[in-house]
Amino acid sequence: MAIAGQRTGAIYLWGYAAEMLLKAAYFTFIGVPKLRSLTFPQDIQPAIARGRVLGIAWPAQGAGHNVRAWAELLVIVRAATPGGAFSARFGVQVQRCGQRISELWRETLRYHKNVAYEHEVDHVRGAVSWLLSHEQSL
Amino acid sequence: MPRKKLSNEDQPSKANCDLAETLVKELKRDNEWGQPTIYEQQYVTGKLSVIVIWDAWDHVPLEERTATILHAYEVAEDIEYRNRIALANGLTVPEAHAAGMLNYRIIPAVRAGDPVTEEQVRAVMCVQGASTLLDPNHPQLRFRSKEDAEACRRRLIERLPGSDAIWLIDRESQRADSFGLQEMAMTAEP
Repeated sequence: MAIAGQRTGAIYLWGYAAEMLLKAAYFTFIGVPKLRSLTFPQDIQPAIARGRVLGIAWPAQGAGHNVRAWAELLVIVRAATPGGAFSARFGVQVQRCGQRISELWRETLRYHKNVAYEHEVDHVRGAVSWLLSHEQSL
Repeated sequence: MPRKKLSNEDQPSKANCDLAETLVKELKRDNEWGQPTIYEQQYVTGKLSVIVIWDAWDHVPLEERTATILHAYEVAEDIEYRNRIALANGLTVPEAHAAGMLNYRIIPAVRAGDPVTEEQVRAVMCVQGASTLLDPNHPQLRFRSKEDAEACRRRLIERLPGSDAIWLIDRESQRADSFGLQEMAMTAEP
C-alpha cells in the first residue's frame, strides 16, 4: 500500500497489526487459550480496568484500541508477575514501540482521506516491524 | 566514511537534558507540593512503575519523556534502581486529568468582600502546582486523592490567612477524552 501511495492506509494496517499482536501477547501471557474468542465485556474491559489499577494512563475514548496502553499493560503485567518481567531494555523498547505507533495511529484512521508522509510511514513501520520480529519474546 | 547500520532497538531515545536535570533535583528534594508530582508504584516483584505529572512535558514526545525519567532516576538513584523501573510515563496535568488520574480539584470561589484578591489566589495556586496549560488565567489544581487535595487546601489557607471559605474541593467523574497526542501530524497533500 505504501509503495502504491496509499500511505495512510499502510499506517492503518501496520497499527492494526500492532494492536492485535500486543493483545495476543497479553492474553497469551495471562493464560487465555489461543483459539478462544475474546469479547469486550469478558476480556477487553477487565484488561483495561487492570491496566488502570496498575497505574497506566488509559483514556476512555478508544480505550480498546489504545496501542500505547496495550504495550504498557503487557510490560507492567509481566513486571508484576514473578519471573515474568522483560529485561529493562526490552521493556523500554516495547513501550517505545507503543508510544511511536500511538503518535500517528488511531483506529479511526480508516476514515481519513489525507495522505501521510513517507517518514510517518517509516516511523510506524519501524516500530511495528520491531514488535513483529520479537513476537516470540513478547 | 564509516557506514554503521543501527536497528530500531539500538537507537536509544534521547533524554531532554534540561528537564532531566530539573527532575534529578526534584527527586532529591522530595518536595511536598508543586510540580512535578511523582508517583511510584511498586509491585511484589520489586519492579516499579513511575508516573511524572508535569506541565513541562508539554510538546515533548512520549518516548523522550520516558527516556528523561529513566535518565533522571539513574542519576538521582543508581543504575540498579533505574533498572527496577519497568514503566516510566510522563504526563502533563491536562493529560493525566483526561486519563482519569486527577479527579479531585480545588476550585477558588472568590467573592466581592473576600480578604484576598484574585491575583493573590492565582499566585498561591501556581506555587502549589496548579496547571496553566489549558488557560493561563485560570490555573487548575488537580489531585489524585481527596487527602492530597485536603492537604493542599490547608497549605493554601496557611499562605492566605482568612481564605478558608474560598477553597472548595470538587470530585469529578472520570472524563472520556483522549489525551496527550496532538492531532494527526499527517498533512493533506495535493
